[in-house]
Amino acid sequence: MDGIPLLFKYTVPDKLYEKFWEGLKRGEIYTTKCKKCGTLYYPPRKDCEKCMSSDMEWVKLSNEGILMTYSVVKQKPQGFENYSDYTVGIARNSDGANLMCWVKGEAKVGKKVRLTTDGQRVICEVIE
Amino acid sequence: MNRKVAVIGVGNSKFGKRDDVTIKELAWESVKEALEDAGLTQKDIDITVIGSTAYRGTEIYPAPPVSEYCGLVGKSPIRVEAACATGSSAAFTAINLIASGLADIVLAIGVDKMTEVDTSTSLAIGGRGGNYYWEFHMYGTTFPTYYALYATRHMALFGTTEEDMALASVKAHKYATLNEKAHFRNKITVEDVLKSRVISWPIKLLDSSPISDGSATVIFASEEKVRELKIDTPIWVKGIGYSSDTSYIAARGEWVGLEAARDAAAKAYKMAKISPLDIEYATVHDCFTIAEIMAYEDLGFVEKGKGAELLREGQTEKDGKVAVNLFGGLKAKGHPLGATGLSMIYEVTKQLREEAGPVQHSFKRYLALTHNVGGTGHYAYVMIFNR
Ligand SMILES: [Zn+2]
Repeated sequence: MDGIPLLFKYTVPDKLYEKFWEGLKRGEIYTTKCKKCGTLYYPPRKDCEKCMSSDMEWVKLSNEGILMTYSVVKQKPQGFENYSDYTVGIARNSDGANLMCWVKGEAKVGKKVRLTTDGQRVICEVIE
Repeated sequence: MNRKVAVIGVGNSKFGKRDDVTIKELAWESVKEALEDAGLTQKDIDITVIGSTAYRGTEIYPAPPVSEYCGLVGKSPIRVEAACATGSSAAFTAINLIASGLADIVLAIGVDKMTEVDTSTSLAIGGRGGNYYWEFHMYGTTFPTYYALYATRHMALFGTTEEDMALASVKAHKYATLNEKAHFRNKITVEDVLKSRVISWPIKLLDSSPISDGSATVIFASEEKVRELKIDTPIWVKGIGYSSDTSYIAARGEWVGLEAARDAAAKAYKMAKISPLDIEYATVHDCFTIAEIMAYEDLGFVEKGKGAELLREGQTEKDGKVAVNLFGGLKAKGHPLGATGLSMIYEVTKQLREEAGPVQHSFKRYLALTHNVGGTGHYAYVMIFNR
């Protein structure tokens, strides 16, 4: 028999990393850097776990990178059923940040990529 | 450890799609078997530890109903969770309760009822097995995707192939035909694996462990109790290692092995004062076929990049250099998250007691290991046992 469904409705903070979400809308990727010890974080953080400071500044990441690995998602999870197949990748950019992304173009480990966004997420375009 | 700890009783339910029972009856199947195996009753148990991830079942707080059904009320169930390594975290907790002197006999139950939700919901829960904001929310990652990212890079750097990975699945299914508790008991071929539906390339359906229901129970006791109860073949805990890694998988910097597993293995070998090559039998966390290949490397059976070679040469078969997963692995026996780690201890105990029937490995030093990974290396437990 059917059990009683449990529907989770979430509210998530949107102000905390507003600069990141705003950047995505303009094709830019922002992250945070600790003003005290200089550690660059990606994803952005409110607090520096290395020196315990919370004095962080927003910096724009370079758009040059290399594709480290990838996977083509064929069986999609709840929330993504209406998307056609997408390729999830990890790109390392020239600042040394490792970014999860969706890959556009023909994915291959070690290829040069250009990092941009589609308004909602980081995209890496394979450079031919 | 302050006090020696032994396994004195083990039980394992039938794994599979168990829509004939709720989580309570499912837990009881292994609890009853373990109590009978140890020759004990519930009265003899000091404390109960229950490992369950629970999110895919209707009982999201499963410890009270399970302990009530199993006649363990008053034994203060401690519920633990470490994703796919939940069973080992239950064992870890139980062992520590005895080693510290707080308890003499501890019963650890691992149980999960994972098939109560549909697959798409299950994938969305698994996709959160990392970092919600920076992975699932934006990229729709599923749990297979995380391991697929490791597989793609392992293939690119070391020439590991999809055929190599398929061999792990073929081996698992071959041994599962001999395990009456296994989820799947059919033989498959490399071609079957390669032709199966792609889930998250390069991972295909037959590279993946199933979504299973099941329970496993292990009863641990102090050395004094082992003597007092005159246990015939106690299986001693010789070494324990644990570690963890970042939730955001991209932050790790390399994706060809699980740093947490390497670290946990090093700690366990050090405590047991043995080297990787002393291990005669290992149960490894083959949630996906690439995970078995990486496990050979992370456990030090071969150097990094050579895992597929060990598999191709048949060195991890019964009576090979180091036998691996002669029970059918997570791939074919099944992978009910909370139960898996304890189910590995069940299998290792059967082997070390020489009660493994058709899959009995021949031991010289009676040294065996369990390797249980939670998430994609978010947690790792390595435990070494001997007779
Ligand atoms: Zn800092």
